[in-house]
Amino acid sequence: MTLHRNALIVGAVALSAALAACGGSGSSTPSSSATSTGGSVEFVSTTPAATGDIEAVSWNLPYEPTSIDPAYSFNYAENTVDANLCESLLRLNPDFSITPALAESFSHPTPTTWVYKLRQGVTFWDGSPMTAADVVFSLKRGADPDVGSYFGTYFANVKDIVATDSSTVTVTLNGPDALFNQAMSTAAGAIVQEAYTNSAGKDFGSPSKGVMCTGPFKFDSWKSGDRLVVTRNSAYWDAALRAKAATLTFRFISDETTAVNALRSGEIDGEFFYLPPAGINELKNSDTGTLYLGKSLVFWALVGASETGPYADPKVREGFSLAIDRPAVAKVVFQDTASPAKSLTDPAYFSYGAEVFQKAYDALPANNANFEEAKKLIAEAGGTSAGITIGVQGSSAVHEQTGSLLKAAGDALGVPVTIKTIPVDQYGAVYSDPKAREGLDAFLTTWYGNVPDPLDVYGLFTKGGFNNFNNYTAVDSAVAEARAIDDPAARAAKVADIMTQVTRDSPWTPLEVLPVLAYMNNKVTGATVSSAYLYYPWAAGLGKAG
Amino acid sequence: MLVVASLLVYGSLYLTPGGPLSFLVGNRSASPEVIASITAQYHLDDPFVVRYFAWMSDVLHGDLGRSLVYREAVTDLIASRLLTTFLLVSYATALIIVVGVGAGVVSAIRGGWAGRLVSTGSILFLATPAFVLGVVLILVFANGLGWFPVFGPGEGVIGRLWHLTLPAIALAMASAAYLARITRSAMVGELGREHVETAVSRGISQRSIIRRHVLRNASIPIVTVIGLTIGGLVAASVVVENVFALDGLGSLLVRAILQRDFAVVQAVVLLLVIVFVVVNLIVDLLYTVLDPRISLGGDS
Repeated sequence: MTLHRNALIVGAVALSAALAACGGSGSSTPSSSATSTGGSVEFVSTTPAATGDIEAVSWNLPYEPTSIDPAYSFNYAENTVDANLCESLLRLNPDFSITPALAESFSHPTPTTWVYKLRQGVTFWDGSPMTAADVVFSLKRGADPDVGSYFGTYFANVKDIVATDSSTVTVTLNGPDALFNQAMSTAAGAIVQEAYTNSAGKDFGSPSKGVMCTGPFKFDSWKSGDRLVVTRNSAYWDAALRAKAATLTFRFISDETTAVNALRSGEIDGEFFYLPPAGINELKNSDTGTLYLGKSLVFWALVGASETGPYADPKVREGFSLAIDRPAVAKVVFQDTASPAKSLTDPAYFSYGAEVFQKAYDALPANNANFEEAKKLIAEAGGTSAGITIGVQGSSAVHEQTGSLLKAAGDALGVPVTIKTIPVDQYGAVYSDPKAREGLDAFLTTWYGNVPDPLDVYGLFTKGGFNNFNNYTAVDSAVAEARAIDDPAARAAKVADIMTQVTRDSPWTPLEVLPVLAYMNNKVTGATVSSAYLYYPWAAGLGKAG
Repeated sequence: MLVVASLLVYGSLYLTPGGPLSFLVGNRSASPEVIASITAQYHLDDPFVVRYFAWMSDVLHGDLGRSLVYREAVTDLIASRLLTTFLLVSYATALIIVVGVGAGVVSAIRGGWAGRLVSTGSILFLATPAFVLGVVLILVFANGLGWFPVFGPGEGVIGRLWHLTLPAIALAMASAAYLARITRSAMVGELGREHVETAVSRGISQRSIIRRHVLRNASIPIVTVIGLTIGGLVAASVVVENVFALDGLGSLLVRAILQRDFAVVQAVVLLLVIVFVVVNLIVDLLYTVLDPRISLGGDS
């Protein structure tokens, strides 16, 4: 009797010791069920249409937005909300085509003017009409250095914005700019009401005041730390995009495991993941919901962050690039939800000049791992005992695992690699503040062009460019020339050359192409799942399933 | 006591290397406008004493400043989270006292299998990190059995209690285990005393002995540990808040520290200090009730 009882206790203690020992981060179960695709997976733009209206839908965001002011909505959570509230002159559709929205038509009479004829009968949520004055005010905000819009670079060439009559706005540029009109389909061209924005002052876009826009959903309330609620705008001008959900509630669960559990239990109806959470297999295999892989402009890259140090040498960068087994990263780190990238802009970006771009793209090296070649390049660079420091984001299995792989690659190549884990709350500062990048040679990031134009990505490599973290200037003049070419066919050739050169020099090393990971509970359907969800009212079609 | 604490809280900003301005600007690049607004908000151009009194008077008027990150008044940020944290900590405290003292008393008196069970159980819970316990609770009781919700603080009294049950358990168990062991050893110590032996030999009922002679005397260390535990619960709640997606003061504090949102850090730390001081005051008062030999301000 005594022996049995003690054995039981010992057994219980052993089990509990095992439990207590698992204090590490959530372990990701290796994907055994998913078939290894090796090549490309079919990515979709839309989901099956909803059959009817629905009273309430809840959606999770990966973190709480810092603002819903369109001028400061330049990141995943902010745009996920804002895309349903505020609209722009043009609309970026799920398939990445660009069509008129608040501007019912636009014209380009001279290389430096864009004329927008405003749609009549559009009202803000408070019933007041959208006027040319509101449009001029909103566009001027984008260009105003005191406002400091994150979309400021798109307005860099703007000379003047004027209401030429009560329903027409003319933008005059200093020189032709191929990106300006395209940017008017993103939050850069979002139209807000002048009166409300002025009266809200510095609270505009914050939980207390929200925004005043024209979209299919209107801002209802925002309880900081808890939820952000938007409701259907019954007076919305576009009947085709009338909101099917009466109330859409956004939650802010940032812990990946908790979010996955909430989705599985049905307490939350859906979420967009920009990186696969540790529990993605549970979502893939769930019987209560479906995971969609959306066509996307998002990619995963190792970004150079310093003008000095070993990583500033292109040979070292190329060496590292050749030491990374991209298909293995896609299979293991991304659990079969990514595909290897050979350039920063994959064919999803080729919305114009497709043949020219495709030809250049096909000519790029395959980027297969080649360890011998990698070692040779490091040796040619002079070998290096000086190490490099790579920044990764905390609380993300993908960041940490990719970091480990880079460290292993470095060890094998004889380049000591230090992985610096930066807490997720501080990671944003790495992009916006040179001081936060001090000591980093490179860091991992997702990135995306706002519009389907490779120039939108390569255009950041200008001398002293805000996002040109390691000040790579080899394509600076080519970019300026390309940006001034309005005609898409002519521009394609130039941009394709830039693509080839940037890929060769690798200031940013492309790693993987990332689809949008959209999970929806089976009782709802109809959301747009391509990465256009950042600017297109993706929730308008979200309604009852089956 | 509070005045000294508030001076320390306020003064800590000025002890940071590089001075307050560089700390507040910290990870961010600062345009002249940002620097001007931070200087104005924190009165950095005035002498220290003036600044301190300006801050204190603001605090007493209910103005705790403005968050640099959320662009909201700090009072609003705290108010919405105060209820969640208060309920979570109170619920956990109740569980700690009931489970901890209860298990400790039972194991001290009964011995045998009950004693061994409590000993083993307390080792198990002392060793298990709160977030592991939280995740296991979610997997078993929320996802598995569906008895409790997975996340969120809930609404309404019943809703909140229901939502906070699993988080409170996750938060309480390690402290309850510790309290159980303290209770047990304090009780066992008292049970061995001569006056208890005398009482037993005089035939007084066991119930009465436990209540009047043992528990009362053992309660000094028990109450002390409870007081210290409550003080640490808000900080410990950060991890549990993360797992259960409860937006409480703990998460707010950690985020504010990481983001150099000093007005928020100042306000939350001040609040914690006040709570700690109040709890310790209550514990001191309880001493005088429990042990007439101790008097307030006396030299015990």
